[in-house]
Amino acid sequence: MKVNRLTVRVVLGIVILVAAFAILIVAEVAEAQRRQAPDLPARSPAASSETRGDVPVAQAQRRPAPPPVPAEAAPRETVQADVSSRSVAVTSSFTGTQIVVFGAVDHSRQATAESGLYDVVIVLEGTPTRLVARRKSNVAGIWINTQSITFESVPSYYAILSTRPLEEVTNPLVLRENDIGFEHVRMTPVQGWETGVTTAELQEFAEAVVRLKQKEGLYVQEQYGVVFIGRTLFRASVDLPANVPVGPLDVRVYLFRDGQILSTYTARVRLEREGIELLLHSFAFSQPLLYGIFTVFIAVGAGLIASAVFRRGAH
Amino acid sequence: MNLYLPIAEMPVNIYVFLGMGGAVGFLSGLFGVGGGFLMTPLLIFSGIPAAVAVGTEAAQIVASSVSGAIAQWRRNNVDIKMGTVLLTGGLCGAVVGVEVVKLLRQMGQFEFFVSIAYVTFLGVIGALMLIESANAIRKTRQGKPVSVRRPGQHLWVHKMPLKMRFHRSKLYISAIPPFAIGALVGLMGAIMGVGGGFILVPAMIDLLRVPTNVVVGTSLFQIVFVTAFTTVLHATQNQTVDVVLAMILMIGGVIGAQFGAAAGQKLKGEQLRFLLAGLVLLVCVRIAWGLVATPGDAYSISDVVGGH
Repeated sequence: MKVNRLTVRVVLGIVILVAAFAILIVAEVAEAQRRQAPDLPARSPAASSETRGDVPVAQAQRRPAPPPVPAEAAPRETVQADVSSRSVAVTSSFTGTQIVVFGAVDHSRQATAESGLYDVVIVLEGTPTRLVARRKSNVAGIWINTQSITFESVPSYYAILSTRPLEEVTNPLVLRENDIGFEHVRMTPVQGWETGVTTAELQEFAEAVVRLKQKEGLYVQEQYGVVFIGRTLFRASVDLPANVPVGPLDVRVYLFRDGQILSTYTARVRLEREGIELLLHSFAFSQPLLYGIFTVFIAVGAGLIASAVFRRGAH
Repeated sequence: MNLYLPIAEMPVNIYVFLGMGGAVGFLSGLFGVGGGFLMTPLLIFSGIPAAVAVGTEAAQIVASSVSGAIAQWRRNNVDIKMGTVLLTGGLCGAVVGVEVVKLLRQMGQFEFFVSIAYVTFLGVIGALMLIESANAIRKTRQGKPVSVRRPGQHLWVHKMPLKMRFHRSKLYISAIPPFAIGALVGLMGAIMGVGGGFILVPAMIDLLRVPTNVVVGTSLFQIVFVTAFTTVLHATQNQTVDVVLAMILMIGGVIGAQFGAAAGQKLKGEQLRFLLAGLVLLVCVRIAWGLVATPGDAYSISDVVGGH
């Protein structure tokens, strides 16, 4: 009787383990296959960047035309760009990824890559999220959070890459107008701001958010990150860290000459959970009760297997 | 090898966390304690968000106590009636505790509260255990027999209404004290990510006068059910249970515990208690240091809780 029960438990444990491994392996294989397969049309947001293609045209038309440099009326320069991978899978083995942004200047007038007639600024911006910034103060010898401000729509990720330092590219007014640079990251306080927080304190909180995001590697700036390869071609690469928040990244490419924006282009990188990562995350958030019971079940199973294995080893 | 955790949303080195689970498992096997009071602070120190550490640790405690509970059950060392009263209290405590966690997270004071709770409990228990075991060691060195406290006098807890007869424990006492003790342990477990054996066992011995042979079994009985319930509550109320992290810790923990238990048989009881007291105080001091030391950055940022 006792042996019987033990056998049943061991068999049950092995079945659970095998099932868990099978699920893991199937998920991994499916994931690997998907990654190997060429970008499926349904998955790659080619359509989205095409529809976005007409945005820069509209923007370019809105801006005052730059003064014609040579006497002849040459066609105006425009910029086109794309990213190396439009969708990035966040799987259980995700350790960050590199994204290459490349593009070309149409009707380029510069003689060589080194002539430096144009400046390119690339901004990668993550989804706007709410976050709370808190400040600790020393109360009776103990450090405790005393003040907090909630900010609405802070980009979860923000990278600026440029051919030169931003202050050399253009003036602060243009930078602010286009939300380029850490000082111009959109940050709207929603709570606590009305109740006795001075403007100076608000400024300190906003600076702290940028500083902490930089520390986490989520706000990055590379002053010489964009390189011209030829008369028209440029490229830049950015390393997305493993802790990059999941969600779409908007890529904005600005073409500058003499401090004026000639043309812009936007693209998008999608960061999506996939495989077992997606499975577990959506399970935990859509079926929390079942997920909790599932976790307890695994825990009980692990405990039983351990005791069965140990007892068998002891005898 | 790195693994991206689905709930903590960060990559972790799987070997580091297996090792952590193994080391804590070894110590818990050695000392015969659950190990939650070591594991939760370790997880927080290694960058896991405090709330995820607490929620996930509840699941790991289920795994580490279930086999012990079954073994005790087989040996008829569980006072089911007493266990049920403790358990009822524990479930109530857990419900309140998980709500407190939710509230504190919204206020941004959860980390602070957890630290304070740890410093208080570990400080008091570590100090008491250190004094007691040091005395015991000194007495054995002097050749005196270690006096076993076995008082028969009635305490204030025995004068309360709602008396019940607990046959297995040979007690006729009010149901209120065990219920209250169970509730306190459930509350603490939900907030601190511990099983609460280090409170439950001394409370049952010293306050309720439960015979020592049923104390461990009955407390394990309560801990398994309360932590299982707490896990489900954390999953539904706070979404802070990371099943992948829990599995890594469980694997390391159950293996480490076996070696720890074997090593524990080579040491004397009072020596073990002395070492454990030192360990408890060390963890206490480390957490206290985090509260009083000037932080590198007075500012911190976090996601808004409850505003999904």
